[in-house]
Amino acid sequence: MTNETAFDGPKPRTLPTSVRGLLVLALLYMFLTGVNLLGGGFKTLGNDLVDGLFQGVSNPVAGLFVGLLATVLVQSSSVSTSVIVGLVASGVVSTSDAVPMIMGANLGTTVTNTLASLGHVRRDAEFRRAFAAATVHDFFNIMAVVVFLPLELATGYLSSSAAWITERVVGSGGSDFKSPLKAAVKMPANWVKDLLASLGAHGDLKGGLMIAVGLVFIFVALAFITKNMRLLVADRVEAAINKALGAGSGVVAMALGLIITVAVQSSSITTAVMVPLAASGVLTLGNIYPVTLGANVGTTVTALLAALATGSPAAVTVAVVHTLFNISGIVVFYPLPALRRIPLRLAESLAALATERRAVAVAYTLIMFVVIPLTGVLVLR
Amino acid sequence: MVMSFFRRPEEGGLEQIDAQVQRMVNDARHTFDLAMSAVTGGAVETVAEEVRRTDRQINLTEMEIRRALLVHASVHGATDTPEVLVFMNMVKDLERIGDYNKNIFDLAEEGVSLAGSPDLEEILALRDEVSSRIALMGEILATRDEERARAYISRGDELRRGFDEKVRALIHSTEPGVLAVPRALLFRFLKRISAHSLNVVSAVVMPVDQLDYFDESEDTRL
Repeated sequence: MTNETAFDGPKPRTLPTSVRGLLVLALLYMFLTGVNLLGGGFKTLGNDLVDGLFQGVSNPVAGLFVGLLATVLVQSSSVSTSVIVGLVASGVVSTSDAVPMIMGANLGTTVTNTLASLGHVRRDAEFRRAFAAATVHDFFNIMAVVVFLPLELATGYLSSSAAWITERVVGSGGSDFKSPLKAAVKMPANWVKDLLASLGAHGDLKGGLMIAVGLVFIFVALAFITKNMRLLVADRVEAAINKALGAGSGVVAMALGLIITVAVQSSSITTAVMVPLAASGVLTLGNIYPVTLGANVGTTVTALLAALATGSPAAVTVAVVHTLFNISGIVVFYPLPALRRIPLRLAESLAALATERRAVAVAYTLIMFVVIPLTGVLVLR
Repeated sequence: MVMSFFRRPEEGGLEQIDAQVQRMVNDARHTFDLAMSAVTGGAVETVAEEVRRTDRQINLTEMEIRRALLVHASVHGATDTPEVLVFMNMVKDLERIGDYNKNIFDLAEEGVSLAGSPDLEEILALRDEVSSRIALMGEILATRDEERARAYISRGDELRRGFDEKVRALIHSTEPGVLAVPRALLFRFLKRISAHSLNVVSAVVMPVDQLDYFDESEDTRL
């Protein structure tokens, strides 16, 4: 038993806001340096090695599953899409091959919430609501892929629209553009390259080590950016949820989902906050759904930042594809009530089944996020 | 609504909940005063709507606070779990005080009037003390003053024993039921109001796992 009251229990030490803000900026710098190193690493690798690694992703379905699986493994679409952007910037993966991977990354990010909803498994009503809140995101993303992947393959709608936007923002795709972000991260990236060279690493070894260091930088930086931003904006997020959700329109909820996700740099955090609120019944599935859609768009900012740090118009195009893909999904599936209801009904039906038999929830998670993508990658590569 | 995200909130989530708790305390005192006035000879019909409206407001505020606590816990994680649990407990006690106030008013609506009662002066003194203790409860919560909280709890124990004695005396009295029963109910309701206010104040001096042990006698408390 404790002797302290609830009001004078130990509180965790917190950094002053200004220090935490500076820390986030430093971590952002680290993240962008990581993207730069990743792209540089792949450029340093020999063509044969790179071709061997990525030969399978020219099959769009394989590419979709690679994106999905990678995101499930790292538990972050921000990490996986930033890596994809780095691959495109280095010329290892083409824009057209990257688009299905980006769509797959979008699909894979929902595994975090699906797993979080399993925490409510002991109470039927709560679990049903939590699982529906988590899987509505899955169903929206699946529907978006079902519509837009074939459309993209047939018409190039997303990549050509994104290329048009990129051209107006950063110039044509023939050569790298003068990116201030790229210039800013050039120095630390060169330090790492020089350090590796001084340790005797050259050629493929140096390229491999640059990739490894780049991945570590990306992963660690994003993890800590998310953690610190969550602390920095927690009060605002709380106030926004109290004021707007349940009281505001779907558009307001969507905007909040977008803003919160951009602020904390993680769609999983945004939607993970929503799952317990849905589970407890404070928010309905209808309240949660537009927040999820907004979070989907908000999370694309990370890839956009990463792309701008590469100086590669192709990388920027892929990042813009990510944004357009999610916006297009909203435009198609949200405004009309009949279409808007589809993912809600699918999520509720699956949740009802999973409430009857918990094995359905576990089977769904394993099949959707592991079995199907892994099988697809192995068979189709 | 969306732009409000970019404005720094004036208060954190728990500070806002604190303010809502104070509103519940003020509403509880208001309904107590109205109910006791009605049962000691004051107006009944003219205040009925106000009593019911304020009681509904207390219930609504409890629901709002619970929702806000859930949002706070979801956003902030486990950092403030003890305070969240305490607030959840506290609003339940405050809502119960509101219920007992309404129970007192129900006596007045049933025609009970203690205006001619021989112990009217004593009842009015108890009314004044319990009313000021409800307000004091709010002050102690706002200031988290442990010394005042302990003094409050000590006096609360005395009041509780006093109400129990009065109820026992009425159980064994030879007064007609029409006189004894309403007064026994009144003292019982006053005892419950005191007990719930002790539960609320206990949060200032007791750890979370030892909250609320004021409904029992002192020898069964930890």
